[in-house]
Amino acid sequence: MAGALPDSRILFERAACALLATDANGLILHANGLACSWLGYDLEELAGKLRMPDLLPVGARVFHHTHCLPILQVQGSVAEIQVDLRNRRQERLPMLINIVRHQVDGQVVDQWALFKASDRRAYEHELRTARKAAEAALDARREAEHQLQALNAQLSAADRRKDEFLATLSHELRNPLAPMRSALDVLKLKFGRGAEERLLGAFDRQLRHLTRLVDDLMEISRITQGRMQLRRAPVDLSALVHGAAHDLAATIEAAGHTLRLQLAPAPVMVDGDATRLAQVVINLLTNAVKYTPQGGTIDLVLACEPGLAEIRVRDTGIGIPADALATVFEMFSQLEPALERARGGLGIGLALVRGIVELHGGSIRADSAGPGRGSEFTVRLPLAEGAHCAPSGMAADAGAAAAGVRILVVDDNHDAAHMLVMALQLFGCDTAVAHTADMALEVADTFRPEVALLDIGLPDMNGYELARRLRLLPGGVAMTLIAATGWGQDKDRQRAFDAGFDHHLTKPIDLDQLRTLLPQATPG
Amino acid sequence: MSVKLRHNVRVTGTGPATMVFAHGFGCDQTMWRFLAPVYEGRFRTITYDLAGSGSSDRAAYDRERHASLHGHADDLLEILDAFADGPVVFVGHSVSTMIGLLATVKAPARFAAQVMVGPSPCYINDGGYVGGFTREDIDELLETMDANYLGWSSSLAPVIMGAPNQPFLRAELTDSFCRNDPDIAKHFARVTFLSDHRADVPHSTVPALILQCSDDLIAPRTVGDYLHRHLPVSTLAVIENVGHCPHMSAPTESSRAIDAFLADTLR
Repeated sequence: MAGALPDSRILFERAACALLATDANGLILHANGLACSWLGYDLEELAGKLRMPDLLPVGARVFHHTHCLPILQVQGSVAEIQVDLRNRRQERLPMLINIVRHQVDGQVVDQWALFKASDRRAYEHELRTARKAAEAALDARREAEHQLQALNAQLSAADRRKDEFLATLSHELRNPLAPMRSALDVLKLKFGRGAEERLLGAFDRQLRHLTRLVDDLMEISRITQGRMQLRRAPVDLSALVHGAAHDLAATIEAAGHTLRLQLAPAPVMVDGDATRLAQVVINLLTNAVKYTPQGGTIDLVLACEPGLAEIRVRDTGIGIPADALATVFEMFSQLEPALERARGGLGIGLALVRGIVELHGGSIRADSAGPGRGSEFTVRLPLAEGAHCAPSGMAADAGAAAAGVRILVVDDNHDAAHMLVMALQLFGCDTAVAHTADMALEVADTFRPEVALLDIGLPDMNGYELARRLRLLPGGVAMTLIAATGWGQDKDRQRAFDAGFDHHLTKPIDLDQLRTLLPQATPG
Repeated sequence: MSVKLRHNVRVTGTGPATMVFAHGFGCDQTMWRFLAPVYEGRFRTITYDLAGSGSSDRAAYDRERHASLHGHADDLLEILDAFADGPVVFVGHSVSTMIGLLATVKAPARFAAQVMVGPSPCYINDGGYVGGFTREDIDELLETMDANYLGWSSSLAPVIMGAPNQPFLRAELTDSFCRNDPDIAKHFARVTFLSDHRADVPHSTVPALILQCSDDLIAPRTVGDYLHRHLPVSTLAVIENVGHCPHMSAPTESSRAIDAFLADTLR
């Protein structure tokens, strides 16, 4: 046949790869021409004399023993082993080797096929080098991350120790404050009206101040340690914000600031802890008072957005530099200039505020156009489930209805008078205030009120008498007179109407009710 | 994860005592397929894969725990706690001989005897001590592993199906034998070949058989002699064999030497 294969010995001898046969220990039995030529030995020098593993460098030999031989033993063949072989001149020849194991006459014979792999090896070497570089970079990054984590852990541990320290500190500081308070109260009772009144007053104010600082510290510790419990219930923020403004009215007045209160017209209900939320508003207001130079304006706004209640406290104070806006809510962060101005404080007020707001599921942000340009703090709280904002029209209508109406408020209780005035200003009314009947008559003469709201228990003359006298003033007949008394029985009403009052209100005055009594603004 | 799954522990055989086989560097418990069955009639036999090898849980290979052979020794003790009651006969190959030795030092009561197949307490030459290797040799081994693991999914695989030894192998064995994760294998190679446990040797009081091959590149005769001198209770048996795996290439001679040793030791 034309295509008959050459003799197998010729096939073996002239194969296009190096071929060898060895025993199980790798002792060379036969080698073809290419094998002899690559290795640099005559067949006589190889057969029965050299072992293939001995031609491997030591590292490759270990690999052969630990990887190739067990596989050969179990599976009968291995393929694509990449190792160097050393030739007679001790030159390294990169090789690709396949081995297959046969049984010949009960003896194990391994047949080796060797291929030169210089180019492939060089290429793969480059690949490996690149991979190693990539791995080294990855290791370096892992190491860096590891260190960062360790550092983070250290920081959190330090932070935790600080929190524990603050908790202990505030607790320990608080203990002696209670007996001091009791002792001071006793002293005030004993000597309060004597010469020591001023000393005791100073003592009293400073003790209150200290107690407040320690309380703040204690509460912020509770928050940072996750131990603050909220006593949640439906809370009307309108009333709460109003109350907070009332609490601080004297302080605001003492600093010569004007407080502009702008409240949503209807109750704004949130599910919250009334005491804590009041603390939030009071803290923000206190800050506004503290960081606003005398005679500033503070706006306190409560708005109802869909699903959200928004409380804004805006002042015309020292403002916040842009780079400090991010850290202003962190504990112990105070603006340096504030410290220089010796306003004191621990720098935890805002941290406390944020902690409380966040416990309520709300958020807080600070805005400022920069130093000297005032600050605005905005607290957002989720509305209570099922609560909605009242239609916005109501507020506008109610405000418009009373806008421009001139009202005289007469009450010897300064705070009460002030609050009423604030509320009426909110309705857009023009207000005047008097604390005695004499003063009321004097003011009314020039102010020409359309409405006069009179407290009955005045020091110099009772409200009934004052009403009669007001009626006698020019324009007094047209004046709407409203009596405010602590008693709401029919005989009390009757007495008011007999004295010439148009309406009678029972204290505390319901602002909504009051608003319905105000006449439409007189045109012109 | 259970110890069983973590180390792919297999328990076969029946007998009053337990024999535990731990494979050497490079492969997995399949290495014991020629020797372990010899003992199944007389012992409960346990084979397992070292952490990072064979079908062990790769996730359980912890580069810190397994940064030294002590981690592997702790693994072994956990396996004994889970699977063996009384003292066991431990059979280790290559690196596992030192893993076993460390375990006998930690918990001597757990062992009745230790069989060390091709042991070496230190591979690198050190002054008068001849371990057989230099640091450069070990680097070269790592290089070779690198080169051969480059396409590790195909390299080392049997190209020619139906090779004479093949038919009795199950298919999944052919697919998985010695296919170790390249990164773990290199880490383990470093841990193995750079380890030096010569100082631990005198503290292992459990009777030891040193099963030494006459011609073993990885554990030369000098190392066998060294161990024989320094182990408190040891027998040295030399098997005529070229290579590092007498339990595979000379299972009959190996079991004969082990039997003789056990007959003496377990009396």
